[in-house]
Amino acid sequence: MGFSANGKQYLLPEEALYLMECGNVQVFYQDLPLSIQDGFECFLSSSSVSLQQYQVFGHLKRLGYVVHRFDASSQPSSYARQLNLPQSRGARSLKRKRSDSLVPTCSHSEAHKVPDVKRRQAEEDPTLPESRPTSSQDTLGAQSPSADSNGGRPWWITDAVASHQSHEHACRRSLCWDGVIVFPDVASLRGHSSCLASPDPSLLPGGLTVGECDVKPWTRRINQREVKMSAKDRERERREHRRKWDVNRDEKVRQCRNWAEYHQLLASRQGRRSGRPEHLWQREVTPLHDHTQPISTGELLDKISVIKSTHVLEGASRLKASEEWRICFTVYQPDTVATFKKSNPGKPFAHMCICSFTGPVPDLAAIKQLSFQSGDVQIVFAVVDAGDISFYTFKDFQLPTDVYP
Amino acid sequence: MSSKEAESPAQAMHISQCDSAPLLWHTDEVAAARSLGLVGALLGSLPRTPRQNVRLGRPLLLLPEEERFLGDCGALTAISQSDVGVREHARQVALYEETLERSYQEQQVLALQDRKAAVLRALNSSRPGSEVDCEEDKRRRLETLERHFSFQRSALMVQLNTARVGPAHLSAGPASCAIRTPAADAKYQVFLDLRRRGFYLTSAGKFGGDFLVYPGDPLRFHAHFICVCVRADERVPLSDLLAAARLGSNVKKTLVLCSPHCHGGGVTYSSLQWSGMI
Repeated sequence: MGFSANGKQYLLPEEALYLMECGNVQVFYQDLPLSIQDGFECFLSSSSVSLQQYQVFGHLKRLGYVVHRFDASSQPSSYARQLNLPQSRGARSLKRKRSDSLVPTCSHSEAHKVPDVKRRQAEEDPTLPESRPTSSQDTLGAQSPSADSNGGRPWWITDAVASHQSHEHACRRSLCWDGVIVFPDVASLRGHSSCLASPDPSLLPGGLTVGECDVKPWTRRINQREVKMSAKDRERERREHRRKWDVNRDEKVRQCRNWAEYHQLLASRQGRRSGRPEHLWQREVTPLHDHTQPISTGELLDKISVIKSTHVLEGASRLKASEEWRICFTVYQPDTVATFKKSNPGKPFAHMCICSFTGPVPDLAAIKQLSFQSGDVQIVFAVVDAGDISFYTFKDFQLPTDVYP
Repeated sequence: MSSKEAESPAQAMHISQCDSAPLLWHTDEVAAARSLGLVGALLGSLPRTPRQNVRLGRPLLLLPEEERFLGDCGALTAISQSDVGVREHARQVALYEETLERSYQEQQVLALQDRKAAVLRALNSSRPGSEVDCEEDKRRRLETLERHFSFQRSALMVQLNTARVGPAHLSAGPASCAIRTPAADAKYQVFLDLRRRGFYLTSAGKFGGDFLVYPGDPLRFHAHFICVCVRADERVPLSDLLAAARLGSNVKKTLVLCSPHCHGGGVTYSSLQWSGMI
């Protein structure tokens, strides 16, 4: 309790009044001792400590908490907290939790990247050269268009499935690695370019230069034998196909009344076969997601979500301090009394804001501003109603999403 | 009940305004307020057990309606601290020092007696031997004790007064300086009506209402009703009513909506109670 200044010990008015009520201190004014009534009338006023604030102070002190007046200047700024700077008032615990407002986007994207990574890796396996040749041929056929579209791009840049997704990935990549390693599809590179471009020197540890990689010796080790049909077999297949297939057998073709309709039918079939029917993709409003491309449930939910969840500290730094709502006291746990030191108080238990039931409930702006001021210490609202005090606090809450990767 | 209302209360009560809150400091005034049916709330520490929150002591905080009630009864006098002259102040200081000195002398005598009794007890318990030797020994010991006994000034017990001693300085201004708003007037009307019917009322902020209504003294009964004051013509959203009724039924109290009639008429009461599914 109290503080020392100019070589003397001083007590704050609420502390002096509390000690007077406990019978530990006698306060003299002009050589006469003050009664408790005098203390109430002289020490408590709206300019220093109001009666309601003293009620809360006394209540907490009688329960054993250590209660100090809130000092905004002794609060570390968010930048100082980021750097884990030791406090000027002595060393607060250096293992301070990082402020949540620092990297919200990274953590958000991390959570959704995890299910994606597992699926991607499952898909990458067939493209590895060690798998069975026949199945690998099929998947190679499917992958080859994407590999083709790579063109001259280096192989380590992930070929995102949709163009807009690649942009997003590039942005997120600047913040954090999503855990995906894409291996080059060496087998499908045959016939296109026989060497892989050298990696970006900025990605390599200093002093290391890697030249282009020649793929030919590697491809020679892969079994790339095609199924060889003899000329007679091929001839036989062609004949069967020509004999059996008759375009007029198709019901839909028969329904076409003229050549224009027949062309339309051919176009829609082509579209459906390629997975992009023209009635969906050629209009102004296209589907949000191409169903042939893989996507995780979490990402899909993100795409169709209308409301984005936000954090309480978002935009809080822009708010001005309000006259009405301010933090009055800093409260420390009672069991830390043994280890509590004025030079090193440790992390506070809560910050108190004092109001009454007749006043307004704190609105979102007030809560944001108070949370920003308080840092990572919880804010407790002490609501005073005649003789009773009730304590309320607002807790952060995240709506759970049912996403099982 | 009615006879009590007719006569003005014998006790004049001195209200001290602390941070614009009315407080009663003297024990007899607190008792008198209780006898009038005003409960109030105790705020201070009990002198004998200061470090607990279960039982609190003086001062007594009055509700604004209770303060206005006392004012209307004519029982209120506001007090204030006025500056005393230099001579008066010097006289007070001299008086205080005199009482301190007198207390010191009394305590010195008592302390010596205490010490003697302690020594006798120790002697009697330690040596249950022959009687004659003990008597001589005891007298010698007590005499040396008296000669060498000194009562330290720092061991003096002083009294910290709760209420201010001395004559109260009456202030010339009005007893209560609360602002009268229509909402406050409505609440006061409801308070008056319920008080006249014999109920005891306390503040009910924790329960989402205006008053907590007890059928008798709060020390003997649990509250029966939560009062919410609404004007008769006020439109109340149904969700608010349901929320208030739910709150009331959760704590096993009936919610009473009180609507005072304008210009000092009676009050209409409507109660909401959870009846259960039939």
